[in-house]
Amino acid sequence: MTEKAVEETFVALFALIDLRQIFRDTKPTYQFSDEQKRQIVEIIEKVRHSLDVIEKELMK
Amino acid sequence: MKQMIENIEVRAKEELFINIHPIQAAGRLTPEAMKAVIAYGDGYSTCDWCRKPFRLDKIQRPPIDEFHAELAKFVGMDQARVVPGARRGFQAVVSSLVEKGDSVIVSSLAHYTEFLAVEDAGGIVKEVPLNEKNVVTGENTAQKIEKVKKETGKLPKLIMMDHFDYMFGNEHDIHGIAKVAKEYGIPFLANCAYSLGVMPINGREMGANFLVGSGHKSFASPAPSGILATTNEWTEKVFRTTQMVGDVTKRKFGIKEVEMMGCTLMGANLIAMMASFPAVRERVKHWDDEIKKINYFMDKFLKIEGNKVLSEMPRKHTLTKVDTTGSFDKIARTHKRRGFFFSDELKERRIVGEFAGATRQWKLNTYGLTWNQIKYLAQAFQDIAKKYGINVA
Repeated sequence: MTEKAVEETFVALFALIDLRQIFRDTKPTYQFSDEQKRQIVEIIEKVRHSLDVIEKELMK
Repeated sequence: MKQMIENIEVRAKEELFINIHPIQAAGRLTPEAMKAVIAYGDGYSTCDWCRKPFRLDKIQRPPIDEFHAELAKFVGMDQARVVPGARRGFQAVVSSLVEKGDSVIVSSLAHYTEFLAVEDAGGIVKEVPLNEKNVVTGENTAQKIEKVKKETGKLPKLIMMDHFDYMFGNEHDIHGIAKVAKEYGIPFLANCAYSLGVMPINGREMGANFLVGSGHKSFASPAPSGILATTNEWTEKVFRTTQMVGDVTKRKFGIKEVEMMGCTLMGANLIAMMASFPAVRERVKHWDDEIKKINYFMDKFLKIEGNKVLSEMPRKHTLTKVDTTGSFDKIARTHKRRGFFFSDELKERRIVGEFAGATRQWKLNTYGLTWNQIKYLAQAFQDIAKKYGINVA
């Protein structure tokens, strides 16, 4: 395992914090703007990518 | 909601509900601060790069030294320190200036920790009465000083006054009070716990010798955190370094500041403050919009028959005291859930933070809510009123 897995763990955690902020900004109806929808997609992709890297690193 | 660990639940109140709690609003973390808490939560995390002269505000990595300098500039003072809450700022100043039996002038709406700080130093608080609008004026402060002088034969050692108070969120005549303090030659501490971090604050323009702010009340930071800032004139007094020498070991800790107890706010709390700082610097420029939002809400709130606002109007702060004795309390008197019916109705609409069960006088704060959330909130109050047959104009 390299530092990469640790780095990606933080990337994923921080991305999820950004998602948390979107929840805060849109509660209690969660009606997302187009920009927020775009951000949500980006966050999910980022987290998914980080998990892929982590999996690859840890399963070597 | 799942538990984080046994007996400690996840706190997702801010993600799930509109929270109108009077003192929680402006202390909500920015995403940057939340990330800081994750990365710097370990105890002495800020000390990795602590090098000579071994003091928190001198650390360069992360740039804590730079943050202190920028913070002082941001509040219009010469020197700033981070402290574990505004209360520790009061305590540092009072402890430096006040001796046993000295009088300290405070507001009739002073926070209890101002009382404790004075008591701790052996001083005596002398409260300035409010005017008919629940505001402390320079004139009333001058009268109180004269009264103290007459009674004790001495001038008070310090004037400690709130910019906005915790009870009504009213703005007090801070400039007038500073002018009076200067005329009498009494040092002046401006308690900006409810203003520093949400609106532009300049201590020098305010005429303050000391400025105190709260990280967890108004600077999007975790508790406890706060700010104490002063001018060069007072730096050596309040931020004096230790002169103590061990009688056996002859040890000295020269760089450490006595009132700060050496290093002050370490770890995640400090880094979270630093992480929130850019957003805080930006958000103070938009205070006008926060005022528009609270006044919009109050306008809708007052359309409910029987509702009153006890704070000064129009609102100059988002923290507001309201009176619903003539509306929701009338329902509470005969409702099987008594005052809790109102909390139930709010919660059903995903709104929390009111004082549970209170339907007479209570406080709310709309700081940081988006316009959509403000409109939702206003509509929810009116919907509850209509549901129980209360007229809405």
